Amino acid sequence: MRLGATAGLRFARRVNMTSMPGFSDVLEWAKHQVTSRVPKADLDQRDPDYIREQLPGTWLLASLYFRADVRRLDRIPAEGPVLLVGNHSGGNVPPDTFVFTLAFCSYFGVERPFYQLAHNLVVSAPPLGWLRKFGTVAANHENARLALESGAALLVYPGGDYEVFRPSWQRHHVDFGGRKGYVRLALEAGVPIVPIASVGGQETALFLDRGQWLAKLLMVDKLARLKSVPISLALPWGLNISDLLGHIPLPAKIVVEALDPIDVDCDDDVVHKKVVESLQAGVDRLAAERRFPVIG
Amino acid sequence: MRVQRNCVIDADRDTVWKVVSDPDCYPEFMASLERWEPAGKGPVKKGARYTVHWKIGSVPIGGVVEVSEFDPARDLAWIGISGVSLRGRFRIRDNGDGHTKVIFRLAYESAGNLLGLIADRVAARQVGRNMSATLKNLKQMVES
Repeated sequence: MRLGATAGLRFARRVNMTSMPGFSDVLEWAKHQVTSRVPKADLDQRDPDYIREQLPGTWLLASLYFRADVRRLDRIPAEGPVLLVGNHSGGNVPPDTFVFTLAFCSYFGVERPFYQLAHNLVVSAPPLGWLRKFGTVAANHENARLALESGAALLVYPGGDYEVFRPSWQRHHVDFGGRKGYVRLALEAGVPIVPIASVGGQETALFLDRGQWLAKLLMVDKLARLKSVPISLALPWGLNISDLLGHIPLPAKIVVEALDPIDVDCDDDVVHKKVVESLQAGVDRLAAERRFPVIG
Repeated sequence: MRVQRNCVIDADRDTVWKVVSDPDCYPEFMASLERWEPAGKGPVKKGARYTVHWKIGSVPIGGVVEVSEFDPARDLAWIGISGVSLRGRFRIRDNGDGHTKVIFRLAYESAGNLLGLIADRVAARQVGRNMSATLKNLKQMVES
């Protein structure tokens, strides 16, 4: 696969440099088309009444299908802005996100402002417009800063599309792919970080490969900030390349636990290390309780 | 959705009331209680508020409740003012021979139309089990 990727890249570069002088312009145009469709963060789009009406359906799905268990929400400060940093699992249909959103809204009430950062493609996809009513905004530093400055709780998954497509056999491995901008964000906003550990999401399909080589080959890493074109075995597709259309997740048991808050008062690397170690310890603890994949 | 459970306790009404009207006793006898905090200061009386969450299904369900009736040794009732729409009541009555009958009622209603109705019905079994366990704990606490 790596050989194929290298050859593809070489071909793409040759095409770019020789036969198609305007190719970089086309790339730039396509990039602009994608980024211009990303809605600007309008925190007012979050609608507590809409969330309240969706909670029962979400509760049914979380309780009956995923048999979810959310623990220790009391570790999250009861009021004020806070940065919730989670490990991300489940491909483009990540059950951990909606299970935690349900739990947060149920525990603190839909009245407490709560936003989630999501990939550009998620917030700009027309069928997913309703996510903005839940408080989902495009993942960038400016949106995150706005949300925290407004006094809201903010959920981020620094690992993003890198972590969410890790192979299923690495399902209990926390890997942000070196991203630690969230620490700077918390430091600037002066808010604590609460790690949110979860297990089970990576068992909702059989994730085989991140497909970073495929993303480079297809140049979607530049066009759409997609670092992966993942390959998995998932319902109903069988072999599932890219997961852009999503998939039907297997009913894996999801367990989520909020961990002790971490004050952001020192060097970025030190805080990042603390967060990752705390998350990994939390995930290991939850993973040790599981007897079987999917069943839990 | 209205769920009701009852039990007979071998004690008089005042003894039962002492436990039922003491907020500090709730974490001990209320089953599946995930969160229990006074939302203000002062003694229990009509208008006192508490944040209460029970673990129902996957997540804690509840909100802020306000005491709506505080009739010593007879009735303690509350209504939910945030979260899921909720009314609850401990009804305490003489049952002869120094025994007391305690009726525990919860009536709740989720938002969300049809899915809300289904969720209410699905939750009712667990809510009923929790209420039975709560009364069992209360009986043990009072009689010991």
